[in-house]
Amino acid sequence: MTVHNIYIFDRYGTLLYYYEWNRLKQSGITREEEAKLMYGMLFSIKSFVNKISPLDTKDGFLCYKTSKYSLHFFETPSSIKFVLTTDVGAQNVRQFLQQIYSQIYVEYAVKNPVWQNNKPIKSELFKSKLDAFVKQSPIFVSKAN
Amino acid sequence: MSRQGTRLDTKNVNSELFTLTYGALVSQLMKDYTNVEDVNKQLERMGYNIGIRLIEDFLARTGSGRCYDFRDTADKIQMGFRIFLGVTPTITNWSSAGDEFSLQFESNPLTEFIELPDHCLNLKYANVLTGVLRGACEMVQMEVTSWFAQDQLKGDTVTELRVKFVKRLEDAIPAGED
Amino acid sequence: MSITISAVRPRTSILDKSLSRGRGEVSLSCYALLFSELVQYCQNRVYTVPELQNKLAEMGQEVGVKFIDLLFVRERSYKREIKILNILLFVKSTLWKALFGKEADKLEHANDDERTYYIIEKDPIVNKFISVPKDKGSLNCAVFTAGIIEAVLNGCGFPAKVTAHWHKGTTYMVKFEDSVIARDKQLEDR
Repeated sequence: MTVHNIYIFDRYGTLLYYYEWNRLKQSGITREEEAKLMYGMLFSIKSFVNKISPLDTKDGFLCYKTSKYSLHFFETPSSIKFVLTTDVGAQNVRQFLQQIYSQIYVEYAVKNPVWQNNKPIKSELFKSKLDAFVKQSPIFVSKAN
Repeated sequence: MSRQGTRLDTKNVNSELFTLTYGALVSQLMKDYTNVEDVNKQLERMGYNIGIRLIEDFLARTGSGRCYDFRDTADKIQMGFRIFLGVTPTITNWSSAGDEFSLQFESNPLTEFIELPDHCLNLKYANVLTGVLRGACEMVQMEVTSWFAQDQLKGDTVTELRVKFVKRLEDAIPAGED
Repeated sequence: MSITISAVRPRTSILDKSLSRGRGEVSLSCYALLFSELVQYCQNRVYTVPELQNKLAEMGQEVGVKFIDLLFVRERSYKREIKILNILLFVKSTLWKALFGKEADKLEHANDDERTYYIIEKDPIVNKFISVPKDKGSLNCAVFTAGIIEAVLNGCGFPAKVTAHWHKGTTYMVKFEDSVIARDKQLEDR
């Protein structure tokens, strides 16, 4: 089991936070470009999923999977978007993202007095809490490589 | 989902510490600004800043989704007051179009020890609340305005906060796409 | 003929209302966010960290002054403390419980200075969500609480200076005026 990396976007598409744990290959473009690409993809896939849906959708887009990794998506009603990539076997990642939102993002990013709306999160406290939270989860358990 | 939310940090603090801290803030503003209108504005602005953050806490705790209609919004606002301030205002006086309602407070922790002196009669002491509502609703794609229709501090029997729906806000479209 | 004193005629004056029992609670997040606004407001009006600390301490004092009244009006049984140790214990337990719902973690006397005492709080609520930016390393927003303590001590007749420091969590350093120490000694002698 592995967690590769996380992206957090606000509702304007600003990359609020990025962190990687086990990323063996980089995209070869700058972080900003990558974030823009990611946000664009999320935006398109969300509207695509809803448009094409043969039923009333409730949650809409949740994740996609390749043979090597999965990308999980969780969006709050306030349009904060959490994206986590993991190995393909990871379970209950959506729930995990929800916990990251309620127990880490809300507690240590939003409630920090120096927090600013739609500005990247710089808090050291947030960084260390998130890191610890991810590392203690069953989804993590880093492989030796 | 919601059960998981309520398990969260439900710690509370003494409401008097809150009341007095807010009081210290308002009196500092009264010292810093000569015009009471500016104080009202500043309180609203601070409320807005609180609102845009408090909504995240609300969503995290309750696990609630987007509002279905404005009545739904009213219920959630009422729930918010209960969770955060420990008071339950009454929802009342709906407009016929269903776009306006009032929250009536019998007591309000913000104004617990307050009596307004004559030179402060234009001060909207609890104006921070109107900002909180504006900020919180804006984050969930709703523009609302609110104002105090009645105020116990001004001699009314109840405090009535009137809330009006203005419009739905749309999600931002990423640059270069439409 | 009547003489108007106040433009508002309250149905009941605030003094006619009975004082609540002080058991009301609001959520910690609500308090934290209000406090955060307060810190930011002050920060925008000053230039340096010491100025900010002073401002926060001043506002804390404003809260402290009112809080003593509340405590003493509500609890008639509180007697007036005249000994340093007793007033410190009052701060550590009674005041702390009323403010924060718990006692302060520790009370210590400085080894090298008889005027100085430390009240230690591992995790003060005002700092719960605060991550101080590196360029403001020395800033401890708990100076606000220090202001409350200082006002309470002054109001009870124990003039002191109270400051907040990053040490074992947060340590409030209480430094009494010489006169207080002298008085305490006199009491001991009797």
